[in-house]
Formats: sequence, structure tokens, C-alpha cells
Amino acid sequence: MECWVYQVLRKTITPSFRHFILPWILAVYQSDERIELHHLSELGITKDGLKDIKNQLGQAVPIHSSPREFLRQHSDMADGLVRMAFRKAQSQAPSPSVCLMAVGGYGRAELAPHSDIDLLLLHSSSKKEDLPPLVEKILYPLWDLGLDVSCSSRSINECMQMARSDLYIKTSLIDGRYLDGEYEFFRNLYGLFTRKVLHRKTQNFAAALAKELHLRGQKYEDPAYTLEPNIKEGKGGLRDFQIGRWVIRAKYKTDRWDSILFPDHSRMLDKSLEFLWTLRNQLHLLSGRRQDDLTFEMQEKIAPILGLRPGTEGIEEMMRQYHLSTQRISNFAQDILDRVLHEPSPLKKTFHFLQRRRIDDQFGMARGEIHLLDPVAFKKDPPQLMALFEYCQTYKSKMDFRTEEAVMEAFPFIDDIFRNSEKVNQAFLSILRNGKAVDTILRKMHELGFLSRYIPEFLDVEGKVHYDLYHVHPVDIHSLLAVEELVKLKEGLYQRDYPLLTSLIREIEKPENLFLAVLLHDIGKGMDGDHSFAGGEMVKRIGDRMGLSVEDNELIESLVSHHLLMVETALRRDLHDEQVILRFANEVKNLNRLKMLYLLTFADIKAVGPEAWTSWKNTLLTELFLKASHFFEKGAVALPLLKGEKMLRTLERSLSPEIFSAYSEHLPDRYLSCYSSNEIAHHIEMARSIEKELLLVGWKIKKDIQAKVTVCTKDRYGLFSKLTGSMFLNRLNILEAQIHTWGNGIVLDTFWVEDATKNIERRLEQFKKDLEEILGAKVSLRDLLSKRKESNGIKQKVIPRVPGEVKINNHDSDFYTIVEVIGEDRLGILYEVSQALTDHGCDIHFARISTLGNRIVDVFYVQDEWGEKIEEKQKGDRLKQILLNHLVTKISL
Amino acid sequence: MKKIEAIIKPFKLDEVKNALTKIGVQGMTVTEIKGFGRQKGHTEVYRGAEYKIDFLPKVKIELITPDEMVPQVIETIERSSKTGKIGDGKIFISPVEEVIRIRTGERGRDAI
Repeated sequence: MECWVYQVLRKTITPSFRHFILPWILAVYQSDERIELHHLSELGITKDGLKDIKNQLGQAVPIHSSPREFLRQHSDMADGLVRMAFRKAQSQAPSPSVCLMAVGGYGRAELAPHSDIDLLLLHSSSKKEDLPPLVEKILYPLWDLGLDVSCSSRSINECMQMARSDLYIKTSLIDGRYLDGEYEFFRNLYGLFTRKVLHRKTQNFAAALAKELHLRGQKYEDPAYTLEPNIKEGKGGLRDFQIGRWVIRAKYKTDRWDSILFPDHSRMLDKSLEFLWTLRNQLHLLSGRRQDDLTFEMQEKIAPILGLRPGTEGIEEMMRQYHLSTQRISNFAQDILDRVLHEPSPLKKTFHFLQRRRIDDQFGMARGEIHLLDPVAFKKDPPQLMALFEYCQTYKSKMDFRTEEAVMEAFPFIDDIFRNSEKVNQAFLSILRNGKAVDTILRKMHELGFLSRYIPEFLDVEGKVHYDLYHVHPVDIHSLLAVEELVKLKEGLYQRDYPLLTSLIREIEKPENLFLAVLLHDIGKGMDGDHSFAGGEMVKRIGDRMGLSVEDNELIESLVSHHLLMVETALRRDLHDEQVILRFANEVKNLNRLKMLYLLTFADIKAVGPEAWTSWKNTLLTELFLKASHFFEKGAVALPLLKGEKMLRTLERSLSPEIFSAYSEHLPDRYLSCYSSNEIAHHIEMARSIEKELLLVGWKIKKDIQAKVTVCTKDRYGLFSKLTGSMFLNRLNILEAQIHTWGNGIVLDTFWVEDATKNIERRLEQFKKDLEEILGAKVSLRDLLSKRKESNGIKQKVIPRVPGEVKINNHDSDFYTIVEVIGEDRLGILYEVSQALTDHGCDIHFARISTLGNRIVDVFYVQDEWGEKIEEKQKGDRLKQILLNHLVTKISL
Repeated sequence: MKKIEAIIKPFKLDEVKNALTKIGVQGMTVTEIKGFGRQKGHTEVYRGAEYKIDFLPKVKIELITPDEMVPQVIETIERSSKTGKIGDGKIFISPVEEVIRIRTGERGRDAI
């Protein structure tokens, strides 16, 4: 067998690669005798052999630094095989005169390792019946090699007809390339095609491509495609680039797409393109097939091959480059389409000429677009750049593409002086304050690269991704989407779904602060450590530079550093715990900030991805917002909390760290504000031993007849009435009491009691014994009371000189029903009242008992047995009646 | 094998998950759900406007476990999710006929 594979490859392959591939070919050829013949294709090369060649090619050509060199060499190699197949077929079958062409990506000589090879056989329309056998003869040996080859055969006329009606055929012809056969056919087709199809009706062509782009965009909109993007078809993928290129080819009659762009711009675009090709080549080589989806599995494999750091960090860096690249390509395609689509007809041009007007010396307006009148305006006065964006907002207009280019050309003037300029910063803040279309304006700033020049900190988050399933978008896009959500809210688009948030965004003062906070909330993502706090620090510097007032700057810093506080509290804390809400409100500081934080939380989560914001989350966030807002409206946040916070700081210093951390979160502020640090330390001491004991009682006697009694035990239903009942049993008159339940279910009560008979020590001992037995369920309070009735019977005369009064208040607390009882003091009254509350299903969480002369003023914070407020009116009325009865009933034991 | 479904308060999820992992539970399915039982929804008021909360947000945990693990799993969920207040949720236990791991085709206990 003649080794014509060798001959052909020698001609087609570049010298640098030849030394790699030739030994292999020779090896195959030499081993020819030993390999069974049917394993060899008619082209003298096997399927596996071809695979090896591809892999060797992948190693021979520096595939990362010059991916397109690989594409070209690979395409050259394919050319060799295809020509070989073509010539062999011609020699074997009756051959009409035909021309073999490469079309599509192969036509551009861009052949990724497993790309399709699209061929077109041009023929003169006369001898059609000879074509099918010829096509078969060409295709079969190529298919045997495992190549994905397709071949259509058409006459020139057919080509022209189909190119007019079918967008796909038209675009594949643009990239057509002559391979073999009748060159004349090729020349004729191209002459006709460019003259009669390509350069005609370019606007329609652009419109059709724009539609295709849009439809494809919809298909790949799914967040799954953002996480595992398709390099070819996805947004900003290789196909988007071709769209831009085809339109340039049709409209400007040049294949040098870069010639119509600003040089920096085209250089960046070229790099982006190169990066995507690198990824695509790797994807094909690694998967061994035409795989264009950059799946998680592939991301993990490719990042190290590209020389990036191992692990998540490298993957994130790779995906960052991917996002930056696709953003550039996507913008390029969109810009080119816009230019062509919005070019007015000559008639309209005249009309627009008449409609033209000046905005000021630098800018004018024509056909709804703002354009630059003075070409050196930005050079003379750089702050005009920001003025331009402000005009875009005021006039609800875009700028024309030449002005966009002028903006990019003016980047060298965006320096520290620019960034510190009051004029610039005021214009920027005014855009945010205005609120209209802020998202569009910021997006344009970002697209042109202006935003990260003006706020250089933004550069670090551009394209930055999280390697996980939750964060769909890179940080910069996420931040812009978050701003977009705010704008939608402000424009009332969410009125039906989120009425509360809609009303909030209209209530807040200084909306520019909110917009700025939302735009910059993740700015710390590039930094080490907690990104919220790192971001807060950065925002403080940015705010300083922008000349924000001290209060505004502090506000934005606090919003950014606490931007996860609300969602974490809502999802991970018990919103039925008053303490949780109080602490949260205290950290937020005021109602305006609370509103902003809620709006920021909404925008942030909503912009993560369509799945992230659920009505489930919203319910919890709304509940937290409303409860916290009630505190602010009642002004109930500051006082007890400030005292509580201060006390905690004191305790932190005096207690051992283990004990402090074990107990601090359980101590309610209301409790902390009632006691001294020594007392609290003593209580904690008691609480630590209560784990083993049922009850601890301590007392201090004053002036023989009074005592301060401290009781520590675990909370249980009806505890308070058992306590007061045991005191009543022992003739201890309660003057004052503080009842507290800690978050961990430990009860700490303090009573000031009196016994006029000076037997207080003995009575207290007995009280402790009784209470122990009652709590240990050895005796019931009821039995004890009825037993001692006989022995201790003292008739008590009661004349109600103080009218009884009971108030049931459900407004002042989101968590408790507050029962206020005023009446005449007598022995046992507190027991009766608390027993009545217990009988009525009320659990007492906090109580303040005081005696003023012969008047008792008792306040109870209660919940029903399910931990809810007593909101049913009937139930409340009944409770009120029962309590009132106790206040006036004479008791005769 | 049994399927255990537990409806719990959202903020208890981490605690329950950690407790279950500690006793050797390998996997579970967690869903954000809404509903009501004895703890009914309520109406919140903000500046005169009423915001009704009909269904309360809860979390549902589902897991499949061999029969002998059931008591321990239940005890763990009960202990770690309890606040003692209304709305602590419920645990449902039901028999499971078969479990198949799709990737390997393993069946029964091996597939859990």
C-alpha cells in the first residue's frame, strides 16, 4: 500500500507539528502488516490512531497560550483527510465536475477536537444522479474514522435560494472556504452570494440574528446554565461572537471585526475569545466528545490544567475569567446589533436632523440618543463623563455608540482627582437619588468598564464567583441585579406580590444611601475573612472619597457590614423569643435603618437566583420586620437594652469565660436591668447547681420582720402560684417581687416578704420545706392549705377601700399579654391572683409585684399554655372577671 | 426500613441536623414548607395596613432508616427540636417497602 497518508500530511501540516505526527504515521504504516486489514480505514489510518493524533496535537501545540493555533492545525489536518477522501472518491466513482467546500466553523478553520466537519459539494445542476454515490464515497471512510462529518450537495442556484430563506445556511456560507475541485464554482457562488445576499438588507439580517440571540438567551437563562455554562451556545459564548462578526462582515464588508472597535476594546475581546477557545478545546479533549457544557466535573479537571491553584480557589478564578470573557463578548454582539438595527433610513435621517437639539455645549440629542458634540469634551473636563450618565437618566435616553467609545477612550482621565471631585460624586449620588432607571445606568457604566474605574474596589468582584450551587451569578452581576430588584420595587412592579416592601421603599429617607449600600454590599467578597465586615471597612473609605456626610457614611457602612444580620436572625432564631427581637432591633438601631436592611435583604436574596427568594423566607422576614418595627414605634428598644448591654459587658469582665458564654445569651435584658452584677453572679452560681437540685432558696433578714428571698428552680407550669401559695401558707406577706424566666428555662425570683410576728426565720424554713415537697409532688398545695386552715385559722376582715381594677393589654408586646392588677392588699392576695391566672391557662413569664401602702400594683407578662398571647376576646373578658372577683371577695380561712 | 418525616420550627433545623449526624444518620431531605395545625396564622399590622400570615413557615426533614435505628432517631429529633411551645411540630413514621440507589442499583439497607 502506498503511504499517501504520509504524503498528504506532509504537505498540509506545519513543520513544528510534523515532527510529532510523522513518526506516529510511520509507525502505523510500518505495523500495517500486523494489524488486521479491516481495522484500517481506507485512508490508511485507524480510529484510535486519529484519537492519538488529536491528543498528541493537544500536547504539541501550547494549547493554553495559543488555542487558535491548535484549531488551525487541527483544521489543516482535517483538510488533509477530507481532500484525501475526496480524491479517492473521485477516482472510484463516476465523477461529475464539482467543488468541495468547508462551511460553518470548519470553514473558518476553527476546528475544536470534536467539532463537526461540515462540507458542501457544489455542482452544476446537470448531473445530479451521480452525486449520491460520490458523497457516500467521500463520507464513509471519514465516518469510519469516527469523524462527525456531514455533507450537503447543492447547485449554485440552490445555494443562493436557500441562503435567502434560511438564516442557518446563510451564516454557514459566510464562512465558506474552498477545499478542492472546481475553483470556478466557488468563485461564482461567492461573487453572487456577497453581492446579492450578504450585503443586502443588512438590517433584516441583523434583526434575524438578534432574534436568534434572544431565543437562545431564553433557553440558557436557566440558572443551571449559569453555573454550568455552555461555552458555545450560552450567553456571551462563541456563537454570540460569531453573530457580531457576521453582522460586521455584512454591514461593513470586512472580516477584520477588530477594525471597527477601539483598539483596547478589541484586544480585550480577543483575549476573551482565546480564553473560551482554551476551555472548549480542553472540554473536547477531556471528554473525548463534542461536549460544550462546562460542568462542575469539568471545571474541577480543567482549572489545574490551566495552571490555576488547586481546589475551589482555582475553579473560582477560572470561572471569574469565564464570566468576564462572556460579558465582554455578549456586550460586543449586542452593541454591533444595536448599531446596525438602530441606524435610521435616509428619510428618517432628515427627520432626525430637523429634530436635533442641543443639551449643552458638550452634548446633543438626536434620534433619541445622546451624543457628544465636542470630541475633546472629556479631555478638557473629565467630570463631564458623569454628567453624561446623568443626562442619560434625565432624558431617559441611551448614548450613541460613538459616545460610548469616547467614554472608553477617556479612561486615562479617570484618576484620583476625578474620583475625589465633588462635581463627579454629587452627580453620581444624584443619579442614585433620582432612582429612575438606576439599574440601566449602572449596567451601562459597568459594561463600558467605567464603574470599576470610578469605584476601583469594584474591579475585585468583577466576575468573582462562588463555587457552589446557590450563588448563580458572579458578584458584580449579582450586585447589579440587586439594584434592579430595588428599581422594580420602586416602580411598583411588585405591588401585588410584596405590598409591604413596596410601601417601604417609598417611605425611606435618602434612597441614594440604600442604592449605594445595595450596589456595594458584597464588595468585601474579594477579601479575606468575613466579607460583610471587610466590605463595611471598604465602604467607609469609598464613602469618604465620595464626600458623604458622617451619618450617611456610618449608615452605609453599617448596612453593608450587617447585610446578613436580618436573614440570619429570621431563619435561624426563634422569632417568638422577645429577647431575639430586642437584640436584633438594638443592633439595627432605628426604624429607617430597619426598613433599609429589610429592602437590602430582599434585593440581595432575590438577586441570588430565581429559586433563592421564596415566600417561605419572606414570611419569616416580614415577621421579624414587623416585630422589630413595633419596638421602634413604641420606643421600647433603647432603655432596657442599653442597661442590659452594659451589664453584660460588666459580667464579661467579672465571670470566667466558660461561664459567661454558657449563660450570657440566656439572660433577658429585662432581667439584667433589675439586678446588680454581684447579684447576677450569685444567681448564676445558684443556676449552675440547680442542674442537680430541685430547688434553691436563700434569704437575708432585715429588721427582724422583713426578708429578701431568692428562689431558683426550673420553670414549670403554675410555678408562681405554688410559690406564692407556699408563702401564704406560712403567713409571709409578699410586699414586692421580681419574677424572671431565663432563656434556658431557669427561674429566678426575688421576693420581699414580711412577717409581723418576728418569726420570720422559722417561717422561711417551713416555706422552703413546703415548697420542696410541693415541687417534688409529695404533697399538693391544695391539701396543705385545707389542713392548715383548721389549725391556723385567723379571721381576716376585709373592707375593700381600694377599688379593684384589671387591665388586659395585648398591644404593648408582640409576645405577651400583659395583665395589670390593682387592688387592696391582704395576705394571700398574690397567691389568689396567680392561682387564678394559672387556672385560666396563663403561664407567667415575668412579673413585677409591688405594694404601695395598702394598694397592690401587680403586672404579669403571660402566655397561654401554647406560648401564645391570649387574644381571644371572650377568654380575656372571662379572665378579667375572675380576677376582679378575687379582688373583692372576702377570704375567710 | 422506615421513613421518618418531621415537621419542625425553622430555627431548629441546624440543631436537629447536627444531633442526627452525631448519631450516625447519613443523609436527609430538607424542605421549606408552610402550613398550620393548632398554631394558627395571625394578622400583623403595619401603619394601619394588615398583613395576613395564613400559613406558618416550617421545615420538613425526611429520612429513611433501618428499623432498629427508629427509636434513637425519634428520640433525637424530639429532644433537639423541642421548645415546649406551640408549633414545635410533629413526627410521622411510616413503613418503606424498598430503597434503590439509582447509580449502583443497590437495594434495601445498602441503598440507604
